[in-house]
Amino acid sequence: MLESNRHPNIEILSYSEVVNVDGYIGNFKVKVKRKARYVDETKCIGCGTCTEACPIYVPNYFDENLSARKCIDIAFAQAVPAVQDLVRDSCVECFACVDVCEQQAIDFSQQDEIIDLEVGTIIVATGWDLYQGDDYGYGIYDNVINQIQLERIIAPNGPTLGHLKRPSDRTRPKRILFINCVGSRDVSKNPWCSVICCNLSLKNSKLIKSEYPDSEILCTYIDMRCAGKDYEEYYRRSRDAGIVFVKGLVGKVEEDPISKNLTVQFEPVGTDSVITAEFDMIVTSPASLPSQGTVEIARVLNMDKSPDGFLKEYHARLDPISTKVAGIFICGSAQGQKEIDKTVSQARGAASAAGIPMGKGEYTMELIRATPSDERCAKCYKCIEACPYTAISVNEKGNLVVDLIRCRGCGTCAAICPSKAIELTYYRDDQYMALIDELLPIEE
Amino acid sequence: MAGTIRAQYPSSLRTVLVPCTGRVGSDVIMRTFGRGADGIMIVG
Repeated sequence: MLESNRHPNIEILSYSEVVNVDGYIGNFKVKVKRKARYVDETKCIGCGTCTEACPIYVPNYFDENLSARKCIDIAFAQAVPAVQDLVRDSCVECFACVDVCEQQAIDFSQQDEIIDLEVGTIIVATGWDLYQGDDYGYGIYDNVINQIQLERIIAPNGPTLGHLKRPSDRTRPKRILFINCVGSRDVSKNPWCSVICCNLSLKNSKLIKSEYPDSEILCTYIDMRCAGKDYEEYYRRSRDAGIVFVKGLVGKVEEDPISKNLTVQFEPVGTDSVITAEFDMIVTSPASLPSQGTVEIARVLNMDKSPDGFLKEYHARLDPISTKVAGIFICGSAQGQKEIDKTVSQARGAASAAGIPMGKGEYTMELIRATPSDERCAKCYKCIEACPYTAISVNEKGNLVVDLIRCRGCGTCAAICPSKAIELTYYRDDQYMALIDELLPIEE
Repeated sequence: MAGTIRAQYPSSLRTVLVPCTGRVGSDVIMRTFGRGADGIMIVG
């Protein structure tokens, strides 16, 4: 991230939102809302004097709310840009930070501003969000945490400086249960497999086991899906390390009100017995969901969504990088659930795909396009609603104008037009009628 | 599809290429029935 920020050809607009996109490949006109951050990026040097002056503590969202931070602080160590981050909703406006800032970088009068950009191609990489349901007592019982929280706990710069401690009493949990497929592979919640969780629980359970060999780790699963290069070996080594894997879903979790330990009931598949066991901590592997703003970004960029809510690619197998709009590409978890290596591959693919028309400076398109006829058009504008590419618009005279670059030549407008005023070049109605008549001759 | 899976289809079948299933309008369908077709499969 730091390296990208230093690159002369890359400009990062953080804390910003794309609010409108017009135009077509090579000539997109983008409106970006730069939200007020109340800290002047050009002046702030990230010295942290304001953090010392700030009297307010807020939950640290970077540590998944497992620790506290000041209301104005650097979001996290490697944040780009390295300027102070103010949690405006929790600020009590004491202005202590304004008084101590030598750079005079803190400006509470800042407003959201809209900037205009002209770009040739667009890559959407809006990522994913974590399922936050209360399954197995997550969010209710103190010692039920999710994988991302565990990642923070065992991170050297995390809330416990890398020491494994459970949230309720900050002691080391010895008996840990990993529950996979939480909120995923469940038709009543999210029917898809989130892909990353099996390997994530392998990685974290193995890390804990190698650091604390006396840990007792149990992992329940529906199916272990460790497909891919080296993953099977990883799974085998985890079993060799003494981590116990049990196929079956957990039925019930109960918390002891005093010790905050968790009593769990589960039925291993293939046995008739229900096992009851006590654990110090439970780590859930929640589903990956389309990121919060996906609906909005799909609307702004006129992209489709798959039934699961992730962004729709042009072709799921043959063209997973392009979208239905020429010049707009997608990559990573915005397109679907995937692991890091596949995200990197797709991101590089998207960068190359976007680079080809940019390098060439030209874009080749087919000649199959919708052609409206002003004489026949009754101006019902059904075609405008029907067009999946929003290629049809109306000029000041009320006549139809087809954007030949946005149009992909599908012919939906030609099929829906009641007065046959819009036709598709090379696929005209007369051609079809002649073809049908010839294929189905009427016998005399 | 029928070709790639080596499936047989009846010789009474007629295929019409369309750029997109969206192109198939009611007039095309009615014309086909009008010319005596027993059924239409719109495959995309």
